[in-house]
Amino acid sequence: MFKWIETARKLRENGVLGMNDRNYSVIAKYNDRSLYTLVDDKVKTKKLANDINISTPKMIGIIEHQYEVKNLVDIVKGYKTFVIKPAHGSGGKGVLVIKDFDGEKFYSASGEVLTFKEVYQHVSNTLSGLFSLGGRYDVALIEETVNFSDVFKDFSYHGIPDVRVIVYKGFPAMVMMRLATKESDGKANLHQGGVGVGLDVKTGKTLRAVLHDKPVTIHPDTGANLMDLKVPFWREHLLIGALAYDMTGLGYLGADIVLDKNRGPMMLEVNARPGLAIQIANGKGLKTRLKEIDEKFPTGLTAEERVDYVLNN
Amino acid sequence: MKLTRLFSVRKVLSYLLVLSVVYAAYSIYYKIKYWGFSLTPKTVTDVWRIDAKVTFEPTSKNIRVALSVPDGNENFDILSEDIIANGYNISKDEKDNRVIFDGKNKHGKQSLYYRLNIYEDVKNTQINLQKPQKVERPILSEEEQQQMKQIWELARAQEEGNKVQKVIKTVNQEMTNPSMSLVLPLKHTSKAFAEKIIQILAYKHIPARIARAVKLEEGKKTERPDIMLEAYLDNSWKLYDLNNGNIGLPDKWIVFQRGGISLLDVRGGEDSKVMFSVLKSVATPMKMAEHRAKANDKFSEYEYSIYTLPLLEQNTLKWLMIFPLAILVVVILRNVIGVSTMGTFTPMLLAMSLVKTGFIPGLICFSIMIFLGLVMRAVVAKLNLLLVPRISFVVIFVILLIQLLTIIGYRIDSSLVSSAIFFPIIITAWIIERASITWEEEGARNTLKEIFNTLLTAVVTYFVINNETVRHVMFAFNELNIVILFIVMLLGTYTGYRLTEITRFASLAAKDK
Repeated sequence: MFKWIETARKLRENGVLGMNDRNYSVIAKYNDRSLYTLVDDKVKTKKLANDINISTPKMIGIIEHQYEVKNLVDIVKGYKTFVIKPAHGSGGKGVLVIKDFDGEKFYSASGEVLTFKEVYQHVSNTLSGLFSLGGRYDVALIEETVNFSDVFKDFSYHGIPDVRVIVYKGFPAMVMMRLATKESDGKANLHQGGVGVGLDVKTGKTLRAVLHDKPVTIHPDTGANLMDLKVPFWREHLLIGALAYDMTGLGYLGADIVLDKNRGPMMLEVNARPGLAIQIANGKGLKTRLKEIDEKFPTGLTAEERVDYVLNN
Repeated sequence: MKLTRLFSVRKVLSYLLVLSVVYAAYSIYYKIKYWGFSLTPKTVTDVWRIDAKVTFEPTSKNIRVALSVPDGNENFDILSEDIIANGYNISKDEKDNRVIFDGKNKHGKQSLYYRLNIYEDVKNTQINLQKPQKVERPILSEEEQQQMKQIWELARAQEEGNKVQKVIKTVNQEMTNPSMSLVLPLKHTSKAFAEKIIQILAYKHIPARIARAVKLEEGKKTERPDIMLEAYLDNSWKLYDLNNGNIGLPDKWIVFQRGGISLLDVRGGEDSKVMFSVLKSVATPMKMAEHRAKANDKFSEYEYSIYTLPLLEQNTLKWLMIFPLAILVVVILRNVIGVSTMGTFTPMLLAMSLVKTGFIPGLICFSIMIFLGLVMRAVVAKLNLLLVPRISFVVIFVILLIQLLTIIGYRIDSSLVSSAIFFPIIITAWIIERASITWEEEGARNTLKEIFNTLLTAVVTYFVINNETVRHVMFAFNELNIVILFIVMLLGTYTGYRLTEITRFASLAAKDK
């Protein structure tokens, strides 16, 4: 009991943000509930992002009604590879990545061979709300696949590494990279066994890495030295985060960014209530950082100026 | 500026919490004092029913029967009085505490009933008895005076007790002494005995009188109430046991009549007698509260409480009144401890079911249902059904499962299996659906962890709400729910760490910066 109190005191000293504090003092204050709809719907987010020149994977089409499901083949005509995802999904649920389509069979990224019927079923399930928050009716979004940059090839096992930028009042506050492992089954969520790599917000270099909340230095499957990680196009990553604030008005948000071989950093989605695991990956308390931004950082800057301010101070 | 706003929200809620605590404390005091509620679930109170049946043969046209009845007694409160006397006018003589029956032109044997329901309620207040007039010395012959003096001398020699007790003891001892036969009772009836003692006491100007009391014994029937002596000494009336001189009314005795007047008086009739019978029954404290409230002149307040509702509604409310506490437990477990469960109030509803099924049978039965449901759901997953039909399938499957288990449970006479019927169908189906999706997406480990957390929360909640005392208190003192309301609201502003976060973020505590 005494030990707990002692630990809690130290956590407070180190400015660690707790879940209650996040909900009460940050989200309830700076994230207006009406803004949630902007980020809950990926189609809407994509349109907003395009308006403000944030690059996102290009949309091929959307399927809104069950009777349109059979139009899928027409929609993806000319594409060998594409992604089907639910517009209201979260945490990578219901995302189907087609690596190859030969006109008869679909080859998924996880190595399965799917028939038309199976893919239609997947779209149909998506529309009926199988993957969406609260099970409500949904829309299937079909977009181009990301050509993942080879830079991270050794750092992720069979999955998509992404960069999560926590943006507070428009300033990139804390950053981590999430890497898939064998255990996480291609997904990069930390609680499913993904590796979290805390990145220095000024340089994009590794601060430290954690697996299951414990520090690690090498990737458990590929053996790559996680300390060597350095994200290229760092300023562009941060700029996407800063622009996401202009786009949504959310005072506290998490922007998920992937690096495309040809198009550079692209925004996948924005999260209105990003989790707190990033603190463990960075080995730092988020509250200290938020306080610093509250007290010291200037207001009224453009997104570019905010990013420069973060990089230079 | 925002910090001060936050501070004031918390402040206002704290004030409201303090106010609600003060209100609840007063209300609890009020209910205990005036309604007789208690903090412990005393399930029943003994209620005694005393029937006094008066019988007589009429001899004239006008009949008047007077029966002495108890007033507010030392040990008892009157719950209700009932008089059954067809064709008689009933009136009450408040001064002497008698019920008067007036009848005309009656023929044949008459039976009048006086019924009294009383319950034990020890009051320390002295019953206000009138101060007696000075007693004159009885006129005695020379010889009698001699013997009287002798008695008093013997009495004074007694070691213990006050004057009255000493006299009673002496008379009991010297009963057969021929040298004092004139002042000692001749017949060995308690009435004669009492009358002689009154005479002895009168010799020293101590007022005394006969009191008739009935001892409450289950199934008792008697024609004659027991006789006690009441004497006025040191400015107060006290009752004395004629056999040993003990002071005070023994436990479970009720005084029907005191003083010179008779217990039963029949004018215009003969062969009259009164028969007492005693029956014991029980009543719930809530039932008693109404009478206590009336007795304390607080009935209008009582009338608008939940305790005057029909029993069915009361039972429903009693069930509802425990919910806020269960909710509080869930809020604390989630926001202060940091246990993550399936659904916010699912564990609470499970706990409610466990109360009905019993703990172990409920847990086992629930596990069986979840297990079978998951197996079935895994089979159906292959069919790729649409969402709504699939959940509907699970719901119907659960209903059929409950039906099956209940029938089997009844046939093999096992409450363990048949308790299935008490689990909420939708909640059970929802847990199965949620668990199977978690299983697919996040693996068995996370699923079992979630189920475990949910059950753990349910078990903790169960132990809180299954406590008989807790349930009684939450119902009898339902104003506590307002306190809970403000505690919950105040917890809504709690920004400290959850207990589980302390372990989760432990690695961040080690570093200095």
